[in-house]
Amino acid sequence: MGEAAAPETVVVIDDDYAMRLSCCKILSKMGFGVEAFEDGTRGLEGVGRLKPGLIVVDLKMPGISGMEVISRVHEIDPQITIVVITGYATIDTAVEAMKCGAYDFLPKPFSPDELRLIVNRGLERRRLSLESQRCEVERAMLKRRFVTFVSHQLRTPLVAIHQYLDVLKHLGDTAEVAAKREEWIDRCLKRTDELQSLIADWLTLARVEGGTLTKERIKVDLKQLLPGILKTYEAMAAGEGVSLHAALSEAPLCVSGDWNCLTVLFDNLITNGIKYNRPGGKVTVSGWPAEGEVVVTVGDTGVGIPEQYRPFLFDEFFRIKDEGAKKTTGTGLGLHISKKIVAEMAGSLDFESQPGTGSTFRVRVPAWHEADVAKTGSSE
Amino acid sequence: MSAKILLIDDDQDFRASVRSLLEGHGYEVCEAASGHEGLRMIVEYKPDVVMVDIMMETSMEGYGVTHALKYLDEYAEYRQIPVFMVSSIEESPDERFPMSPEAEMIRPDRYLTKPLDIPKFLEVLERTVGVGKGTST
Repeated sequence: MGEAAAPETVVVIDDDYAMRLSCCKILSKMGFGVEAFEDGTRGLEGVGRLKPGLIVVDLKMPGISGMEVISRVHEIDPQITIVVITGYATIDTAVEAMKCGAYDFLPKPFSPDELRLIVNRGLERRRLSLESQRCEVERAMLKRRFVTFVSHQLRTPLVAIHQYLDVLKHLGDTAEVAAKREEWIDRCLKRTDELQSLIADWLTLARVEGGTLTKERIKVDLKQLLPGILKTYEAMAAGEGVSLHAALSEAPLCVSGDWNCLTVLFDNLITNGIKYNRPGGKVTVSGWPAEGEVVVTVGDTGVGIPEQYRPFLFDEFFRIKDEGAKKTTGTGLGLHISKKIVAEMAGSLDFESQPGTGSTFRVRVPAWHEADVAKTGSSE
Repeated sequence: MSAKILLIDDDQDFRASVRSLLEGHGYEVCEAASGHEGLRMIVEYKPDVVMVDIMMETSMEGYGVTHALKYLDEYAEYRQIPVFMVSSIEESPDERFPMSPEAEMIRPDRYLTKPLDIPKFLEVLERTVGVGKGTST
């Protein structure tokens, strides 16, 4: 962002005074910071100092040749875009210059429009290339962080289980240990469950990312799917003193998607609604059609999401650890997976939340069109 | 008087098993579930040894506790308390951040990996608190 605020700098290197003057005039009118130099040596010094986004260089100059300028500029910064100016007679040289890493060439004489066009295109290419480089770095960092995180998440329950068993073995048959044995075995079982669900969630995530879970598109009526899911979680909700409600429109709520995937999505939203709720609370699932889309909301009357955590809610492994929030179990992958599933279906998932009052998650996905039949039919 | 050990770890199960182990060997144990709570308890209980996990609410929390204890003026009177950093990360700060001047700032007195090697852990602990404080069974 800060980069966009400063005007891009363009350097012109040409031994022809008139050419320098007209280039400077055109380019500074475009809003660039422009500096011109009359030979390669001064030009290179200027490039090193000004760090321009683009340079315009004449190939035929006394002293250091334009060709040498190209390679020396790229030694300074390979991301600088280079446009060469050349006479008609030297098209071959221009081609050679492009092989050396110049971006494009302008044969003399050229119009102001031609210069503007080529400079804009060159800077656009540079912007895209910088952008993709930045994405690459970010992705590599995320990947490293992901590996550290996953191994920590897998190790934590394993360490807890191992430590229990080792201490049991070490302390032997004392009365104190006997009193704890039952409780510790239960805890070990709980922690193995935690590992199981972590691995299950992780596999789901891998399938969603690989596209296999969302490839199979069939017509799914959420009016059939949602009541079934709610039924599955009745016992869990009752255990927490939470009641489940459905408010689905009369009209069918057909979407194009994968039954299992949609189940994972609403499983996650509904169980979150139950877990981050309070005794006597409600989870309400509403659904209605809206202009080519189907909207489903899952609202709870729970603790809400504190403001400072909202930006991270869909991040992998993010979990709210708050004094007010009661201790809940979970892998921290549920919402991350849900977001990906909805994105794969070309829909959106967002939420509103009031601390102390509750949260509502809203899914919008494209409605089923009969035309989708042909699409799914043709894909093998 | 038995030696007091403060366990700072966000995993309640890890704390529960280590507490029983230590109590079984005659130590007094207090627990904290976060770095913040841990620092508060250092002031309150003045433990003889602090055991601290690295990745808790934040992924560097244990480093923060160690740094606070060893370098902040606020904790100057507790600076001599030995810190055992305990983590499932296999590398100590010096190995994890080689040649980094920051590693010095978070260097614990001992670095132990999870799960604990019980005999070795007890031996190190006993050596640290001095003979007669922990009563070996």
